Amino acid sequence: MTPELPDRYGRTELVLMVVDPLLLFGYWEVTPESLREAQDVLGVEMEGARAVLRFYDISLIHFDGTNSHHTFDIDIGLEARSWYVHLWTAEKSYCADLGFVTRTGWFHAITRSNIVHTPRAGVSARDEERWMRVRFARRQKPDPARPLEAVPAPSLRGGQSPEELRALLERRVREQARLAAELAKGMSPGSISQGSR
Amino acid sequence: MSPQTPQPMGYLCLVLHCHLPYVRHPEHEHFLEENWLFEAITDTYVPLLRVMNGLVRNGVDFRLTATLSPPLISMLRDPMLISRYERHLNRLIELASKEVHRTASQPEFHRLATMYLERFLQTRHAFTQECGRDLVSTFGHLQDLGKLEIITCGATHGFLPLLNVAPNAVRAQVRAAVAHYEETFGRPPHGIWLPECGYYPGLDEVLRDVGLQFFFTESHGLLYADPRPRYGVHAPVFCPTGVAAFARDLDSSKQVWSAEEGYPGDPAYRDYYRDIGWDLDYDYIRPYIHVDGKRINTGIKYYRITGKTDQKQVYDRAWALERAAEHAGNFMFNRERQVEWLAPVMDRPPIVVAPYDAELFGHWWFEGPEWLDFLYRKLHFDQQIVKPITPAEYLERHDVNQVCTPCGSSWGYKGYHEVWLNGGNDWIYRHLHTAARRMEELTRAFPQAEGLKRRALTQAGRELLLAQSSDWAFIMKTGTMVDYAVKRTKEHLARFTSFYEQLRSGRIDAGGLKDIEEKDNLFPALDYRNFS
Repeated sequence: MTPELPDRYGRTELVLMVVDPLLLFGYWEVTPESLREAQDVLGVEMEGARAVLRFYDISLIHFDGTNSHHTFDIDIGLEARSWYVHLWTAEKSYCADLGFVTRTGWFHAITRSNIVHTPRAGVSARDEERWMRVRFARRQKPDPARPLEAVPAPSLRGGQSPEELRALLERRVREQARLAAELAKGMSPGSISQGSR
Repeated sequence: MSPQTPQPMGYLCLVLHCHLPYVRHPEHEHFLEENWLFEAITDTYVPLLRVMNGLVRNGVDFRLTATLSPPLISMLRDPMLISRYERHLNRLIELASKEVHRTASQPEFHRLATMYLERFLQTRHAFTQECGRDLVSTFGHLQDLGKLEIITCGATHGFLPLLNVAPNAVRAQVRAAVAHYEETFGRPPHGIWLPECGYYPGLDEVLRDVGLQFFFTESHGLLYADPRPRYGVHAPVFCPTGVAAFARDLDSSKQVWSAEEGYPGDPAYRDYYRDIGWDLDYDYIRPYIHVDGKRINTGIKYYRITGKTDQKQVYDRAWALERAAEHAGNFMFNRERQVEWLAPVMDRPPIVVAPYDAELFGHWWFEGPEWLDFLYRKLHFDQQIVKPITPAEYLERHDVNQVCTPCGSSWGYKGYHEVWLNGGNDWIYRHLHTAARRMEELTRAFPQAEGLKRRALTQAGRELLLAQSSDWAFIMKTGTMVDYAVKRTKEHLARFTSFYEQLRSGRIDAGGLKDIEEKDNLFPALDYRNFS
């Protein structure tokens, strides 16, 4: 007999997870007490209020609750308890509030999520280089606090000018990245437990 | 390769990821999913060890990097599973003997039946005599010889980017794996295979804190790194923490992995799917399939891939081996040209990182171990351009590297997290994250537990680790054996919750604890404080 897992853990929370650069997953639980509190606060405004996830784009800032780059609301069914949210740009940081928006536009938050960072979906535009020397420790653990020694970037090789060479190397990285994106659709890992590949 | 030997034009870093989820069911005399391990031993691990030992005997200087995941190590060292494996192999030998008789009047099948019989007898000899029933030590010996670099993995192959909602879960996966490696091999691991190549910026801090010095990412982990890495995937980078990241090379991967263009699809190679477990008369094969009468693969297969047809031709071993040799030559030729093309604009020899699931070799691709054998011999005897290397040797030779932050990524379909987080398996995370948070709460409540309490805490930790295996989410996504994956996830979580509640209430069921300790017995030396 397979045991059943609890439906609820008695803890109000909203958790965000990253699926890919343009897709988030969120799950939540709202306890009856938290819901009642919200209803108490909203009073008659509760009538017709929509449950939403209010997302805050907090990329590269310390979020104080008011300084997000922008926000957007996703209407949810509170009882769905999880939702997928499609995004339009990659490489951002988000958190979200779960709450109610009343007909008059008043937003009351029940709980705030963790912060997630969506990954990059392409080659970085930044090309300034930092290099360092790290001595390898064979058959032993290096000291986590060992100093990391910055060193000058090695000079570029080959017959061309540094500009040409940089452009060539960048082109190669971009070609490889295109190939990687193409292959990611057709090559996934296989293992015995998968049954067949 | 000592630091004094001349520098080749480029390096090849072959990586085999050996992992299976922990499947051990003492409560059943026969358990179908335990076959995963038995098939992998016969098809992959023993053949790979025989190839490596042969290379050593013949003085072929090779380098291979291989993960041995903690669950796999634990299963390979489990007395019950070892004895069940021998029982399984003996049945196989019995079946192959019968096949030799049955096919006496059909020469082309008879030859193959004889091949299987000899092969299984050799496997038994290798397993019991050459390896002394301890494949882990045989791997360890090859590591001591400097030919093989064994790296670690997540403790139970947890997909770290999705466990990271509770950061203590990630720390525990990494700490428990490193501790297990040290217990097994008597030295710390140099590097780690991140389960499913799952990386997120900041994960390298966890790796640094336990002394790990390198890991692998999928290609775009480096190609999309920030700032843009000068040499793409053909040189490692240092994360800001000083931990090195190596990334998969696409061209070499494609030649082996790709379903259409890859070597394993060659018409001469053995067909995996046509197995006598399905083909032969039911009454004849009945004793060798699943005890409940369900037809399953036996491992004896007489046909070659042939082409996109159901009219399969009989397998020709000599021809298949010729193809494996040609493919090894082709792979080497392509790496030489690749290196010649890359090297002129680099200030160091390019490295080509070619990681594969180990079970591809021998299990899915029957001739894979021979291909590897041919490849290493050709690399050693036939050319000077490309030399095999391990990441550790590379980092000793080239300790100056560019500093970049790799991009969050995995080697699953589409390259991010979708395989392990989708409509078919998303329900597990609420429970996994809650359990991890509760485990942290327990470590705070009981910082110095002893006796029964300590045992309950330790077992709670084991159950949580077992529930976290990425294999369960993966199976739920791919759609075969889903019930088993769901059952395992729920069982381990339910056991965890039960211990959590017992510890919170102060009433520990000693008898129940002992039962579960015997069932889920991996990580005997687990420190529950890893979850802090």
